[in-house]
Amino acid sequence: MVLKMGVEAENQNIEKSMIETANNLLKNKEVDVIIGYSKGTVPLSSAPIIIRREEDTDKLIWNNLCYVNLAKYLVPLMPQLCDSEGNSLKIGVVSKGCVGRALIHLAVEKQIKLDDIKIIGIPCNGNINRKRIEKEIGESEILELSIVDNNINVKGKDFEQSFPFDEYLNELCKVCKVKSPPNNESLAEVCVGECLEITSVEDDFSDLDEYESKSTEEKWDYIIDTLRTCTRCYACREACPMCYCHLCFVDQNKPIWFGKTTEISEIITFHLTRAMHLAGRCVACGACSSVCPMGIDLNLITRKLEKIVKGRFNFTSGIDIETLAPMTTFKMDDSEEFMLEED
Amino acid sequence: MEQKILQKDQVGKLYSELSKVYTFYAPIKEKGNIVFKKIENPKDIVLDYLNSKIPPKSVLFPETEVLFEYKLDGKDVEIIDRQDLDDKILIFGIRPCDAYSLELMANFFSFHGNLKDELYLKKKENTTIIGMGCNNPRTTCFCTSVDGNPFKKEDSDIFLTDLGEKYLVEGISDKGKDLIQKLSWLAEAKNADIKKANELAKQAEESITTKMDVKEVTKILESSFQHPVWDEISESCIGCGTCAYLCPTCTCFDVIDETDDYNNKGRRIRIWDTCQSCLYTLEASGHNPRDTKIQRCRNRIMHKFSYYPKNYDLLGCVGCGRCIHLCPVNNDLRVILDKILKVEKKEDEKAIA
Repeated sequence: MVLKMGVEAENQNIEKSMIETANNLLKNKEVDVIIGYSKGTVPLSSAPIIIRREEDTDKLIWNNLCYVNLAKYLVPLMPQLCDSEGNSLKIGVVSKGCVGRALIHLAVEKQIKLDDIKIIGIPCNGNINRKRIEKEIGESEILELSIVDNNINVKGKDFEQSFPFDEYLNELCKVCKVKSPPNNESLAEVCVGECLEITSVEDDFSDLDEYESKSTEEKWDYIIDTLRTCTRCYACREACPMCYCHLCFVDQNKPIWFGKTTEISEIITFHLTRAMHLAGRCVACGACSSVCPMGIDLNLITRKLEKIVKGRFNFTSGIDIETLAPMTTFKMDDSEEFMLEED
Repeated sequence: MEQKILQKDQVGKLYSELSKVYTFYAPIKEKGNIVFKKIENPKDIVLDYLNSKIPPKSVLFPETEVLFEYKLDGKDVEIIDRQDLDDKILIFGIRPCDAYSLELMANFFSFHGNLKDELYLKKKENTTIIGMGCNNPRTTCFCTSVDGNPFKKEDSDIFLTDLGEKYLVEGISDKGKDLIQKLSWLAEAKNADIKKANELAKQAEESITTKMDVKEVTKILESSFQHPVWDEISESCIGCGTCAYLCPTCTCFDVIDETDDYNNKGRRIRIWDTCQSCLYTLEASGHNPRDTKIQRCRNRIMHKFSYYPKNYDLLGCVGCGRCIHLCPVNNDLRVILDKILKVEKKEDEKAIA
């Protein structure tokens, strides 16, 4: 990644101009509320925040730990955000590329109305892989994180450790091609900093190379080993902007559709079924992995499905507002190969 | 005196002796997370840790637990009860906050003595707890605000203090003292060891800077059920079960019957449940008294800081801070309680005005 200035300086610039933009949007009544990120109370975190007053906009932050996909809040929140006469409010959403993609895809699936949304576009330079850093530091409390000269410096009571920024980004961020929200004429968008013109995407799936080099048996072992510590808290599902079902398949209980225990077969059934539901819908934000309290890397399975969808249907979610996702529509010339067959 | 010394390289010896009698649970590192597991090899034990990711409640109240199994033979049903409830359990290296949580859970599972959850209570009765002082509490720890202390010994049978190369071993309960007697190879502690342990305890207690007036929170909650502060508190919550599942005092569970028709058998199990789930209080009629996120978030706080004190005269929180540093959206309990504390102030201001 080539940055014109240091990561920290770039973030500060973006943050400053984002606050200014947010302030103006509220002042000029272009939006009624703004959903953004505020400073986390513990290192390696950030906290989503809903801003309603101009004077609160300085609570907004921008850094490489803004890992929650804010589009998540819109599906449940939009019906609630109304004025006293029941008119829907205009919502400004601080949007890095994958938040923008999620908003577009949610609109394609008719879950939100983009008319009521103002995208505050931000060119993102990637999220830090917080779970990996936490694991590598191990049993010492991290008290401070800073980015200096493209290094992530982590400090604790009696230690200090440095991680190269480019290497310790989320794997998805390393191959991300949509750093700022995709542009589209039908989107109300203001951009903070330089947002790229994006109309189509050449996806980079090199993050799958290692997984794909495994034999079928090794892949299965890998999936078991990756998922076995899952407690089924469903943080992954709840953080996923595309998991908006009123009642998830796994919560169906009249009768029960899926086993609910933490036995490995049932853990796998949950995660693989969820991944299947995300085929052609995942926007590669990595929120599921970033929030998992057990530090499970959940991206690989969804990524593999994205690659298959791209190969079969030449589709990338959240780019184009017109095209329906492959799994929600049918075309006469659709590939008829079964999607899970061995490549 | 019941104060002895266990050298760190003697943990394996302790394990081989005690594992003959007890099912021996201790912290291990599994895929980067500290969890309490049944130990097969003492080399797996990790004692140099902050606190476990999954609280050791999982030993006595596992994520998935079989209540009973059954077999069908024509019209005959054979119920197979749990055979392991009389096994002796030992939990080694548990932190004081978590040791206290097992007591709190025992309270809940005995329902004021009217009903008894035999499963939990029997296991608890057969459990010997070897606690370990918390030399380095996290900045998110606040046990001293909720009737706890990083060196609170009374919930352990035996209490260890990490002195660097060795552990100071103290017998606390009669059960613990008896056990120490049997471990005749433990060296006697010197006065200097005891003095050092006391210093470490003092340092640890002083290092906990998060102080919260939880009694005041309880008082305010009495009259703030309808307060708009809950909108604010629940706003960023995404409704996952992280806070509940990783909470050492959360006891809620769901009971499920599983039938295996092909093999003429089945089982009744219980799994962890969370009040943040949309199914949690969903009634058979379809009505859910806690239908919204606001109601569910409120329930979690009310349960720990209002209902628990009311029902048991105890707080439902041990101050381990897991929900603080593991919440996916950083909805920090300290901030939540602070917002509640400010509720009263605002009311006061109004009264004055």
